Parts: sequence; C-alpha cells; structure tokens
Amino acid sequence: MIFSVAKTICADQWRYWLRTKVAATVLLLGAILTLAALIVNAFHVEEAAHAREHLQTEAEERFKAQPDKHPHRMVHYGHYVFRAPTPLSVIEPGVDTYTGNAIFLEGHRQNSAMFAQQRQSAGLTRFSSLTPSFLALALAPLFIILIGYGSVSREREAGTLTLLLSQGTTRWQLILGKLLALIAASGLFLLPLLLACLYVAFSSESPLVVLLFCLSYAVYFLLWATVVTACSALFEKSSVSFTVLIVIWMSACVLIPRLGSSVATNAAPSMGKLEADFKVEEKLRSLGDGHDVNDPAFKKLKEDLLAKYNVDSVDDLPVNFRGVVAQYSEGRQAKVLNEFAENRMGEELEQAHIARQFGWLSPTVAVRAISTILAGTSLETHHRFLREAEALRLEFVQGLNKVHVEKLDYKLDMDRNASEEAADKAVVGADNWALLSEFNFNPEAANTRISNALIYFLQLIVWVCITVLFLKAAVRRLNP
Amino acid sequence: MQTKTVIGASALTVRLDNRTILDNLNFEVGKGEVFALLGGNGAGKSTTLKTFLGLMKPTSGIASVLGKNVALHTNDVQQSVAYLPESVTLYGHLSGFENIRYFLSVAGLNKSDNEISVALRKVALQENAWNNALSNYSKGMRQKTAIALALLRNAPVLFLDEPTSGLDPAAIDEFNALVSELAANGATIFMVTHDVYCACQVAHRIVLLSNGKLTGSFERIGDTPIDTEAVHAVFAGRKA
Repeated sequence: MIFSVAKTICADQWRYWLRTKVAATVLLLGAILTLAALIVNAFHVEEAAHAREHLQTEAEERFKAQPDKHPHRMVHYGHYVFRAPTPLSVIEPGVDTYTGNAIFLEGHRQNSAMFAQQRQSAGLTRFSSLTPSFLALALAPLFIILIGYGSVSREREAGTLTLLLSQGTTRWQLILGKLLALIAASGLFLLPLLLACLYVAFSSESPLVVLLFCLSYAVYFLLWATVVTACSALFEKSSVSFTVLIVIWMSACVLIPRLGSSVATNAAPSMGKLEADFKVEEKLRSLGDGHDVNDPAFKKLKEDLLAKYNVDSVDDLPVNFRGVVAQYSEGRQAKVLNEFAENRMGEELEQAHIARQFGWLSPTVAVRAISTILAGTSLETHHRFLREAEALRLEFVQGLNKVHVEKLDYKLDMDRNASEEAADKAVVGADNWALLSEFNFNPEAANTRISNALIYFLQLIVWVCITVLFLKAAVRRLNP
Repeated sequence: MQTKTVIGASALTVRLDNRTILDNLNFEVGKGEVFALLGGNGAGKSTTLKTFLGLMKPTSGIASVLGKNVALHTNDVQQSVAYLPESVTLYGHLSGFENIRYFLSVAGLNKSDNEISVALRKVALQENAWNNALSNYSKGMRQKTAIALALLRNAPVLFLDEPTSGLDPAAIDEFNALVSELAANGATIFMVTHDVYCACQVAHRIVLLSNGKLTGSFERIGDTPIDTEAVHAVFAGRKA
C-alpha cells in the first residue's frame, strides 16, 4: 500500500513537472548538458587515445630510425612518452586536464608533463573543463534543487498537504512519492553517465571498478534528491527551502572543496616551481659538468679508474672516459632529480590527502576522490606515470652512455670537433638505438584502485546515514 | 435526523506554546446532522477541525469520530471522513476530473470514469469544464469538484472549512441544497464557519466558539431555519 500510494504521488509530481514549463525546461537542459558534455568528452578522449598511441609509436620509430650518430647527441635528441587516457576518463578526466599526458625525455633533465587540456585552452575557453564528472558533481545537484525544492512545500503552500493527510495519506507515503519522483528526475542526469559506463564496462576496464564508479555517482544523486526532498518538507515556504538548499549547494560543491584545497596548501606547503628549479640547478651545478672531463668534480672518478685499469692516462683506458663521466654524472644527477621529484610528489600527495579529508564535510569531495581514484586519473596515477617515465628516461640515457663508454673510441671522441671528417668518425652505428624500450603505461590494478578508494566510500556511507536521519526528522516534523 | 453520536468532543483541550487554543470543549453530533461551529478569527475553529482530522493531537480530552478516538485511530478515522478545505485546495495543473481520480487513488479507492462522471453531474459541475485545468475554475466550480470527491469517497462524515467563503449567493444556495441532500441521505456534516447566514440556513445546530470556549448553542426546530438575528446578536457580543 505504501508503495502504491507513493507511486501515484510520484506520477503526479512528474505530471506537474511536465506541465510546468520551467521544470520541464530545467530537466531537459540538465539532461542535454550532461549528454553533450559526455559526447564531447568521449570524442576528445577517443581521439586523444588514438593520437597518443600513434604518437608513441611514431616517437619510438623516429628515435630508432636516426642515422649513425654520436651517442651523446642521441641523449639530447631525446624521446617522447605518452599516457593514453583510461576508459573511465571519458567521464572523469581527473588531474589529466591539468597535469598533461606527454613527457619529453632527455639527458640531464626531468621535464614536466605537457599537453594538458587546460594549458592548451585560452582563458576564454576554460569552459572546456565542463566535464561530465564536473557536471554530475557540481551542476546536477543545482538542477535537482531547481526542480525539487518546492515538491513538498508547494503542497503545504497550496493547502493540498492538509487534504492529502486528512484523507489517510501518511507522511512517509507522501515523502517517499516525492523522493521517488526526484530520484527519477536525477536519473535523467545520471543516465548518460550510466550508458557511458556500460560502454566502458565492455572495454578494457574492470567491471567491478565500473560498477563501483556508477554506484558512487548513483548514491551521490540519491543523497541530493533526499536532502532536497527533506528540506522541502522541513521548511514551511518554498522560498526558504530554496535559500537553504542553495546555501547547502554552495557549501558542499564550491566552498568546502575550495576550503579543502586552501587548507591543504597551507598545512602542507610546497615549494614553488621556480624556487624548486633554482634549487635543483644549484645542486646539479655542484655535481659538476658531465660534458667536461676535466671538471674537478670528476677528479676522484678519474683517479679511481686509472688505478683500476692500472694506467697513467685516460688515453690508455680500455673505455671511453668521456662516456664514463657522462654515465657517472647522469647517475648522480638522476639521484638529485629523483630526490627533488619525490619530495615534490610527497608534498602534492600530502596536500591531496588533506583536501580529501574534507569529504567528511562534503559528499562532493568524497565522490570526487572515489571518482578520480577509480577512473585512474588521480594524482597517485599521475605520479606513477612520472616515475615510470623517469625510469625509462634513465634507462635509455644510461644505455646510450654505456654505448658511449664501450663503443666509441676516446681519441676519436676527443677530436670530434677538429674537422667535419673527424666529427663523422666520432659516431656509433644506428643499430644501437634499438636499446629504447617500449613505453606502455597502465593505471593501477582494479584491486589497488578499489582499496585506495575504500576510505572515501566510508565517507559516503556516513553521508548516507546523516541524510537518512535528516529525512526522518523532516518527515516527523511535516505538518500542514 | 438520527441521534446516534458520530462526532464527539469530551473535555477537549488543546494548548500550544502555553496558550490555550481549545478549552474543555464538549459536544456531540448525531448521524445525519448538519453541525456548524461558528466563530470569529482566532476563535479556535481551525484547531478544532485539525484535531478531528487527526492533524493535531489534543493536550487532553478526547475527539472522537464514529466512536473512535481520533488520536489513537488517526488513520482509520481519516479513511472514513471527507474534508473540504476553505480555499478548496486541489491541484491547479490537473483538471477537475484528474484531481478527483488522483485524490481517490492516494486514498486507495478505485472508481471508474463513469462513477466520477455521475458524481460530477450530481454536484452540477458543467461538463465542458471537467477536463479543463482547475486553475481556470471559479471558486464555486472548485467547491463542487471537492464535494464530488467527498461523495465518491462515500464518507459518512464530512468536515467543511468555511465552505461558503467567496461564493456568490447563487452558488451558496446550490451549496446549501447539496449539503441538505447529503445530510438527508445520512451523512454527518461538521462545518466551521463565520458566515452566520449560511450556518442558519443549513445547520441543524449552531454552536458558538470564542477564545477556545463554547459560548452558546442554537438548534433548528422543525424545518424553520435558526434565527439569524438571534445568532448574530450573540456572535457579535450582544444579548439576543
């Protein structure tokens, strides 16, 4: 009986929305906007995936197709690595929008990722960040508020609440009916996301991850529908419930996430890029110039090497001393670069952890954390991309240095600038460029992503409990 | 008119925020009786109505309908009464026909379109308006729609809140005739109003309410309506 009456009330609420132009327009606009964002993003991600796959292959082929060259010229010729978007980034691009997805790898440097969508956009086109996840997390609640804030208070204001309750309709039946209607309306915004998830589920993504991803958004929409219905029941006037709901929306979707970022930045301050770059440069300079074999920083290396091979001059060494210096210098530089990079990533991660704790204060923050972690577009995944790219960089640079050490005669190397002919002789064969490994970056395993997101699911569960209690209080206080 | 008690108030008291809204009310309404509770603004009429409809709990005393304590058997009572609000609050986005179907449906009653049509004809609502949005109805038309709803609910008890407020004289006459017919068919009608003339025309008994207390009572003798002047004098604070 309770559900049959609730169903009737739900159907009437829909009839009201469809016959009221404003509500129908809001519903239509919200659904179209979500769908449009999804389609645009899907095309963008699909295109980016193909482009990156193509560019990665092309970069590798171009590197390997280089003619006979001095190995150190190849170190500076460098190589690109690309990160293909994850299937769920169609909905949740996460930090990818800001961090970039390609890195130029070269000797002696750790370059930042580039080609971030946000960095490619001019100021006026920042609307391009209207991603499906942003729409779902920030704008959809606003649409839910716009259509639902008066669902119960309208009955009170019109006097129909008295009539309904006086003829035996219980408060729960009424609220359940209104809630069902709003959940169904929210479904209009959720449906495009679910369809996209369904498509993703048939691609390379784990179905369990896709299911949990959908579930988190579904619960989020359910929370908003419940809060809107409860507020509409709790406050006597529609205008009051609308004002309260807008304040809740502003707090949950705008202020608390923003506050989270600010608190995180202040609680775990990190060095600015310029300052960090200066410090790295300073430290690297103290390590000596790897291009100069006579740099005092390599004096001990030289002595040790001469002693090891029991010779008096580097000319008598069975290895190319310039290559040894380059190899030694690169190793030490990489250590310094990694130390700074790990520090920076540690600071960023700490900031992210602090900001995510604000999920206890706003479900938007909790779902955003779940969403990026499950989609494989979180900061953690980006850091892993940087580490894997750095490992590849060091591997191919040191591989080239090894070729320099073992396959290029020291004397020819030292005379390379004497003439064009000498330069032509100071080279190694192009077959040595085959040392470049393929780069395939994949997001973390499904289990790892799920376990990383568990704490934020807990935040969401707490929000469900709070919202249910709020609804119960609203039903108890519902009076004509 | 029969004498079996259908509606009863026994030492009925309602206090809100340390204010006494209803003070020890005692009355009984018999089957087929048209009972009018007459009072000015703030007299406690709406509170009395809400208490009998189960929308408000008494602080002490008992409000009973059909022998059941409303506070204890709220849902049972609500299923057996029909309520006609003052400003006939039906849905403006629905037609008269749709409103009736909807309210019957949430009350758990399934009536055919034919039965609804019969009821609408009975209350003399113009057929060409049945499928128009209620927002285009006059107050009298909305009143008729609400009465049709009450008829379809086959409720033995009708609570009417200021039923003639805003109606033109012709509509008041139509309404009075309908109420008398319902009472003649055995329905018990409890109306709260400040319209002395209407109350005298249609009620078998008028009880005056002032500051939450019953201050006077008038009864119809035979078919002669209650004396409007006498009621008005007491209502206005003058002696009859």
